[in-house]
Amino acid sequence: MPVTKVLTEGIGEANLRDIDVYRQRGGYVQWERAVRELTPAQVMEAADKSGLRGRGGAGFPTGRKWGFLPNNGKPRYLVCNCDEAEPGTFKDHMLLEQTPHLVLEGILLGAYGIGCTHAYIYIRGEFKEGYEIFTKALADARAAGMFGKKLFGTDYSLEVTAHRGAGAYICGEETGLLNSLEGKRGEPRLKPPFPAIAGLYGMPTVVNNVETLAYLVPVLKNGAEWFSSVGTERSKGYKIVSVSGHVQKPGNYEMPLGTTVREIIEIAGGLLPGRKFAAVQPGGQSSACIFEEHLDYPYDYESMAKAGSMLGSGAFTVFDDSTDFVKAAFNSVRFYAHESCGQCTPCREGGHWLERVLHRFVEGRGLASDLEMIERVGTTITGLNLCALGDSIEPFLISVFRRFKPQFEARIQREEAVGV
Amino acid sequence: MAQNFEFSLGERRALAPTGVIRLKMADAQELVNLTIDGVPLSVPKGTLLVEAAKQIKQEIPVYCYHTKLGPAGLCRVCLVEVEGMPKLQIGCNTPVAEGMVVHTQNAKVNAGRGMVLELLLVNHPLDCPICDKGGECDLQDYAMAYGRGSSDVADPKQSKPKGVDLGPTIVLDEERCVVCQRCVRYDDIIAAESQLVVKDRGHNDIIATATGDPYAHNFTGNVTELCPVGALTSKTYRFKSRPWDLVRTQTSCTQCAVGCQQFVDQRSGSLLRAQMVESDDRVSDGWLCDRGRYNIGFYTADDRITQPLYNDNGTFVQVGWDDALSMWAKAIREAQTAGKAIGAIGGGRLLNEEAYLLQHVFRAIGTQNLDWRAGRQAVATPARTGTYQDLEKAAAILMIGETPEERAPVMWLRVIKAVTRNGAKLIRVATADKAPNIAHVDAKSVEEALSLLPAQGQVVVVWDGIDTSVGAKIRDAMASRNGMGLIASEQPNARGAEAMGMLPASGGMDTGAMFDAAGRGELGALSLFGVNPVRNFSNPERARAALEATPFVVVSELFMTETARLATLVLPARGAYEKSGTVVNIAGDLLPVNASVQGPVGTLSDLEMLVGLAQQFGLPLPTVEELERTVIEKAATAGPVALRELHGEAAHDTIARPARTIWDGGGTAAHDPRITRMLADKMIPTELVEA
Repeated sequence: MPVTKVLTEGIGEANLRDIDVYRQRGGYVQWERAVRELTPAQVMEAADKSGLRGRGGAGFPTGRKWGFLPNNGKPRYLVCNCDEAEPGTFKDHMLLEQTPHLVLEGILLGAYGIGCTHAYIYIRGEFKEGYEIFTKALADARAAGMFGKKLFGTDYSLEVTAHRGAGAYICGEETGLLNSLEGKRGEPRLKPPFPAIAGLYGMPTVVNNVETLAYLVPVLKNGAEWFSSVGTERSKGYKIVSVSGHVQKPGNYEMPLGTTVREIIEIAGGLLPGRKFAAVQPGGQSSACIFEEHLDYPYDYESMAKAGSMLGSGAFTVFDDSTDFVKAAFNSVRFYAHESCGQCTPCREGGHWLERVLHRFVEGRGLASDLEMIERVGTTITGLNLCALGDSIEPFLISVFRRFKPQFEARIQREEAVGV
Repeated sequence: MAQNFEFSLGERRALAPTGVIRLKMADAQELVNLTIDGVPLSVPKGTLLVEAAKQIKQEIPVYCYHTKLGPAGLCRVCLVEVEGMPKLQIGCNTPVAEGMVVHTQNAKVNAGRGMVLELLLVNHPLDCPICDKGGECDLQDYAMAYGRGSSDVADPKQSKPKGVDLGPTIVLDEERCVVCQRCVRYDDIIAAESQLVVKDRGHNDIIATATGDPYAHNFTGNVTELCPVGALTSKTYRFKSRPWDLVRTQTSCTQCAVGCQQFVDQRSGSLLRAQMVESDDRVSDGWLCDRGRYNIGFYTADDRITQPLYNDNGTFVQVGWDDALSMWAKAIREAQTAGKAIGAIGGGRLLNEEAYLLQHVFRAIGTQNLDWRAGRQAVATPARTGTYQDLEKAAAILMIGETPEERAPVMWLRVIKAVTRNGAKLIRVATADKAPNIAHVDAKSVEEALSLLPAQGQVVVVWDGIDTSVGAKIRDAMASRNGMGLIASEQPNARGAEAMGMLPASGGMDTGAMFDAAGRGELGALSLFGVNPVRNFSNPERARAALEATPFVVVSELFMTETARLATLVLPARGAYEKSGTVVNIAGDLLPVNASVQGPVGTLSDLEMLVGLAQQFGLPLPTVEELERTVIEKAATAGPVALRELHGEAAHDTIARPARTIWDGGGTAAHDPRITRMLADKMIPTELVEA
């Protein structure tokens, strides 16, 4: 079986929240070695050569992202995005609560790699327990001299601040996160300028996902080649996949990228007895569904794009033939309408309009003319928005609308009976 | 007859507003070549497409973008197609690039804009027939240009609060709002108030104040014009008119000495609204203060004087203009025959042409007892004048004296710009309790303030012109470093009056000396033009005693002011929206004043009164052309005047006064019931309330 424990190693076996346990198992060794023996450029090079790509959703090569930082003498910031709020995604949540020191060590390495002296972690508001666990880990690590002033006898000092969000999906968008972190309303910023040029407090900033940063620890331990030798041509290394939906054993499974969609379903115990496969949403709520014809596609960034979807954050939701896709579509659109910050027109108005139309379908009060409207509006608003949230309304909705159209058509009533 | 005198200087060369294209991030002169709609053009590097398109007279529609607020990327209506880019791009945040090929008008672009407009109309109430903005609404215009003309919306529109009382000046209709956030950004960037925010989220977004308190400061009205739709409306104009029924005049605001350009809209002789002139980069930077915008109702107030009034032993009786003019001339002659002095005070509230004629006529009659100063201010022209652009670019700004932020409000917006955007150091010797919302240093004395100046860079001093000993210190300190000055005058045309020669000369008495002479029984007749020393003089009681001791006092006024009540003869004057001419502002700009409405029947301009008086004496008068030429010459060549204190008066510390607000000025606001209603709501703090 392709399940491989890298970041998840020890979870469920040892109390990794205990800094002593974490250190007995080799924790913070890479961090101390990096500060004592490696230059920041060497850490950046390791990240670049490993082929590690952003695990938060966009899949952007991590080393390249760091490379965008200008050498202009301004202070730089590393921000760890732990606002994991994508429906179906629950990997960062697990890492934060189960192995907080690994998360911290990843942040420390990332901060060192980009030459930053103050790193932040933005923790989703709902992760109250995770926040408390991580805060304790921070205190323990500080007491153990893992960060602070003049680390390990060198001149390098690093501060880490944990900030708890207030519960808005949009604050997971990196510039919405930066605004929120600065104490402003959590609205995405207009780009350009990008965070690498003007991010937190207007300074050059890298925002990396929890899982991305955590992989820096095994990459430094085992070498970039160890990581890049796994996976497919352009999707290297391992990925934690959050499998949910109609499977027998939903949960987080870590595996090499390139494992097939069919294998992932099997890893999660297969479909429920007596059910037939309908669809998989392979990359979180923002991704389009893929279907039977894609079951043997490798689960990597390129193949998922080829299938018309994306790998995203690795949230893998399985739908069997018992699914009411009208309700599922409504639920998805309602989520985006609810979470829209309201800044830009297509997302604010389009999401809400589609939500109301789909709500009528759920109640069996659809209009024949709505079918054209769903297709037209659903697809047209994509690409017109300020940030990715508005562009995320379409993929799931339109993919299931087109595939399971009879389910929608069955909810159409004669016009005079609709009463709208 | 005096009424027959027509005096209209009409169109004037003075200030020609120029449309300057602002370029975000524009580098000096590096040019980029691109093609927009098939037209090749070269524009400076960094120019945004939305601005570049203006050069070929192609409009890219915008809601959230505004030249003075920059791009926000919210409304998404400014979509354009850039060849080589798969998605439509927003014109407001896409800078030009070498070789770029842009289409602002094609099927793909129009379809994108059409989608945005369709979405904006999903919940828009379409109550255009009762909306103030109807006829000048960007949502109407762009919906006509790019909209579908039909709608697929089958569900009821979302209902939101209408008629929300946002503060003393503004009513908000949440349903009409397109959440462009221009108002929010204006309040933050331009006014530095940050009172307005977007509340709630998504389609429930509403505009509100962060604290829930009324939206109130000196510059609230500007948001009604920034609003591209009818969401933010002025209380004074709400439901008053359709824009196509208004007759528009461009003029210079004379409610303070800044000289902002403004459009004044009247209908059937009533001034209904004043609006900003966005292209007025030189003076107002495109903004108005709330007083300049809203204090226009007093012109049609019921208590306006419309007949000459003669004080017959304590009772004012109406007299005709012929009688009034001959009584006036007779009183002056009798005083002169009796060996008594005569004098005239005023000019700071008159137009230049009037101020010039005032000193011309009275000098010809035979007196040098002339002064524009009737309040606390001693001087209006600084040793070296700065412009508002100098203020904006200054390295340091020294603010000394009585609340220039209230006296010259729109100039304060320049100070905000200088400090927040250009990094100027603001040093105040403050008299106001209210600290500004921008970075500043408070000094206890002028000496301390001067010691805090940076060693290098341009300094601009903003001063009130009151205390001449302070003026001397500033003058000496600035002489060595080429510093500039701006004097925030009490009276709108104080600088013009000074330039036109309304100052005592050849042993003539200034205002203080005339009041002293009156007390000694040596003043036979005194003529006052648009001044109210009984309210505003540094020692009001001294002014009152002087007027009571003068046998014949003539007052030209709009209302029965404290001073007019002590007059022998009250002459009903016209206000600045009722006559044409010029003024000189704080920065020394000669600015046009153009009549928007005719004054009430029975009133005359001060110019017409002075012509009438000259005729009583048989004096020769300059022709209109001569007058116009002389005014331009004098305005252009007038230099600084000596720092002269008003005679016998330590003007600056006689009477302690409460801090001024923008609503003080001449007290005209008290005659507009709409403004007094605001005051009654206690939403505008002021001591304005007067009998």
